[in-house]
Amino acid sequence: MDIDIRAKSFAGRPVLGPVRLTLAQGQRVAILGPSGIGKTTLLRIVAGLDADFDGTVSEEGRTTVVFQEPTLLPWRTALENITLPAGVTPEVARGLMAEVGLGGKDALYPRQLSLGQQRRLALARAFAPSPTTLLMDEPFASLDAGTAGRMLDLTAALLDRSEVSLIFVTHDPAEATRLKARALTLSGSPATLNA
Amino acid sequence: MVLSLAAFLGLWAVVAAIVAEPATMPGPLRVWTVLVDEAASGRLLTNTGITLLRVVAAFVVAMGIGVALGLVLGRSGRTDRWLNPWLVILVNMPALVVTVLCYIWIGLNEVAAVAAVVINKVPLVTVMVREGSRALRPDLDDMALIFRMPTGARLRHVVLPQMAPYIAGAARAGLSLIWKIVLVVEFLGRSSGVGFQIHLNFSMFRVAHILAYAFAFILVMLVIEYLILRPLERHAGRWRQDGH
Repeated sequence: MDIDIRAKSFAGRPVLGPVRLTLAQGQRVAILGPSGIGKTTLLRIVAGLDADFDGTVSEEGRTTVVFQEPTLLPWRTALENITLPAGVTPEVARGLMAEVGLGGKDALYPRQLSLGQQRRLALARAFAPSPTTLLMDEPFASLDAGTAGRMLDLTAALLDRSEVSLIFVTHDPAEATRLKARALTLSGSPATLNA
Repeated sequence: MVLSLAAFLGLWAVVAAIVAEPATMPGPLRVWTVLVDEAASGRLLTNTGITLLRVVAAFVVAMGIGVALGLVLGRSGRTDRWLNPWLVILVNMPALVVTVLCYIWIGLNEVAAVAAVVINKVPLVTVMVREGSRALRPDLDDMALIFRMPTGARLRHVVLPQMAPYIAGAARAGLSLIWKIVLVVEFLGRSSGVGFQIHLNFSMFRVAHILAYAFAFILVMLVIEYLILRPLERHAGRWRQDGH
């Protein structure tokens, strides 16, 4: 993946300065920085959700996202929340659900799952289409320490098993270390990436 | 509810007895007798059936157009700015004017009758669905985009479930509106249906017949509400149930 952002501004106010990042297959990068610095903005550009910027982002394979919130379809079952968006068979989805500890919960609706379970379902969904790059936007925020720790272990295991590249936004350097991700900091105004 | 209905019938019987003009103010018993007679003759079933067919045809077409239009207008500000003045005019256009114009322009036929009802109904559905379409969750849009969900799947699994309460509301408001308009349309220019029967009996001053047909149709609409609409809504709302 090649990221070359020259500038991004909101209503004339520059938010991101030059940001360049090249990610080889399987490489993991954590983007650290305080709230409001532009981490989510950067991630949305990389994900292709924000095309209103000056620069280019090129990616050969498939990118999926683990959003800050689980972002599930409340009116579809847990299993369908993987099969429908990711376009995979129920067998593949069941396998992933078992891996994230949601075995046997196929027929439950998101409301019937705890927040931790919803996040694990979102994690399974992101891995389902075998992406080449995974983007994560503070997926462990708003979880208690225990749940966040288990989620981190689970994510690490899934990452190790696949060859997926990772861009991971967080404000906690310990999370970056745990996922063996190279830590970069977004800082300044407009913000730029620094090692 | 039974008590309330009984009180209604009782009040009606008392007023009819005091007025003592069975031709203009028939009591419930008289209306019931007419209802049974009309049913036995087959006229009630035929005319109610024909009216129901017109209601269903107009309902299906109006919901289809209204939902599609409402979705587009809610999502595209530009189209909305363009079409909103038309909607405002149409929403406020008297049903009677639309009906008369349809009969004049299209002719005294079935197409004109259904078209008149549809034109009366589409603006209301559009406005209600547009509200829902404006409230669609952007985060789920992002998710669908990221996972490259095809348009059809996105519509079916992401958009329409969010719109369901608005569509159900439009369907319910629409159904009661449609059947009232269908009667007017039949009254003005058809030679069958409940509206035509009311026209016929009006010209012969048979109030008991008019009431008998009205009650028969109210009954049909209640059956539709309880046997079709409510179960459908319950089915669509399964996911709202809480965890165990």
